[in-house]
Amino acid sequence: MIELQEALRKKEIWAIGGGKGGIGKSLITGNIGITLARLKKKVLLVDADLGGANLHTTLGIGVPEMTLSDFLNRRVETIQEVIIKTAIPNLSLISGAQDFLDAANPNFAQKTRLLRHLETLDADYILLDLGAGTSFNILDFFLFSDHGILVVLPEPTAIENAYRFIKSAFYRRFKKVVTNQNVKDLIDAAMDQKNSMGIRTPVDLIERVKSMEKEVGEILELEVSTFRPKLIVNQVRTKNDVQIGFSMKSACQKYFGINLEYLGYVEYDDCVWQSIRSKRPLVIEYPYSRPARCIERVVHNLLRKEQMTLSMLY
Amino acid sequence: MLKKIEDLNYYELLEVSPRATSQEIHKAYERIRKIYDPNSIALYSLFSPDETEKIRQRVEEAYRTLIYEENRRMYDLSLRDYLDELPPQEQPPARPVSATPVQPSHPSSVPPASPPMPSPAAYAAPAPAAPAPVPPPPVAALPVQPPPQDIAEFSGTVLRMLREQRGMTIQNVADTTKLSARYLECIEEENFAKLPARPYLRGFLVNYAKALGYEPDRIAADFLKRYDAFKNPPKK
Repeated sequence: MIELQEALRKKEIWAIGGGKGGIGKSLITGNIGITLARLKKKVLLVDADLGGANLHTTLGIGVPEMTLSDFLNRRVETIQEVIIKTAIPNLSLISGAQDFLDAANPNFAQKTRLLRHLETLDADYILLDLGAGTSFNILDFFLFSDHGILVVLPEPTAIENAYRFIKSAFYRRFKKVVTNQNVKDLIDAAMDQKNSMGIRTPVDLIERVKSMEKEVGEILELEVSTFRPKLIVNQVRTKNDVQIGFSMKSACQKYFGINLEYLGYVEYDDCVWQSIRSKRPLVIEYPYSRPARCIERVVHNLLRKEQMTLSMLY
Repeated sequence: MLKKIEDLNYYELLEVSPRATSQEIHKAYERIRKIYDPNSIALYSLFSPDETEKIRQRVEEAYRTLIYEENRRMYDLSLRDYLDELPPQEQPPARPVSATPVQPSHPSSVPPASPPMPSPAAYAAPAPAAPAPVPPPPVAALPVQPPPQDIAEFSGTVLRMLREQRGMTIQNVADTTKLSARYLECIEEENFAKLPARPYLRGFLVNYAKALGYEPDRIAADFLKRYDAFKNPPKK
């Protein structure tokens, strides 16, 4: 019964984040959106990178007249008014804020209004392009979505930030389901890696919570099992780079106890920056290039709810 | 169920199913060892160097236990509760179970120190899901005996019969001999054109015969005679 309801549920919201800046979040979001639109799905891209929006550029659209900040500032009443139609059928865009300095930090009321309006929109897929960093706003968008997708590069800096992002999202989710103030304080304390209580991993934390309040600990355990972020490794140059996705999956399983789903990778190719330079979307300008193919595969895995398996590597 | 790394059992540590074949375990080990390499960039921000080293040691321990059949059997006994709770085997991968602890037909292989055995079904792979009973696993060290005298010639068909008599699948033989299942099929079907050159084929046959538990000489010689006849047909 539950499966049936899930299948009937029309809209899916995907959020694409990753902690570090400049790792290709907007590029991947834009091109996933185009690929989906070509599959005759109704797609809405939302540039939720409120401080540094540039999703419109990866789609080849000039600076838009109406942006999210018009909505957040109530210059327009409904979110419909800030939706821009693109040249690609089935694909529309809500561009990020451009002018409004405070837009990078919407307050709680603005945020909930945005999320509420997003839910009413008519689309098969809503893709949220998140900004860099692990601020609460970004984490909340990530947690609000049906699928949280992380982008990393095969580089220590990006991986470090991705773990940081997972950990922050994870603990924020914990805090949302817990009402007991003592437990909340404990979670806050555990966020500090060098805390004095010897809580190193989420497993330690849950054990400690369980010793305080068994039921709350069990709720958290359930949260762990349902938290399933997805991973895309971008700018892959070698087979070892592809392997990093599997390594992260294993490390996350052993450290956080969470199931990171490895959606796929996007190969490095000069045609990517050429497409950005020419301000034309990658999958339209170079549809047969390897990165474009990789993105198709990622979309395929997302739609089929599949992930990379080791046999694809060898 | 969340577990600390120290509490993971060897199968969980290597990320394999408790029903994995030794080949799968070996592959998994190579993979995990690479992942937990001290220089891996996917690790250092989660695990301290000490922790990584500890994980590596445990992975070594796990591999050394699971790769030897005897050790693995003992280990499986100690894990009995965990193995009992396993969900029934999924249908498609009808992989042989190389670590089923007890073989009724080979009572000598039971570890001597263990307490009296409950019925083997208690911790054998839950079979009811499978349509036919799971074929008995290959036993690596069968005592080699001379091949039956009443068989005049060991052709591919005879080899297949002998194998089926022992309840082994091609895959079982492939796992113990490390020969590819395709070649084994070619041997049984006497698909000589697809088989490799004579000296290699001889090696294959010797291994196959040993896996069936027979002294290889006569079997290999008989089969090679048929192979030679195919390669050099008598001139008219």
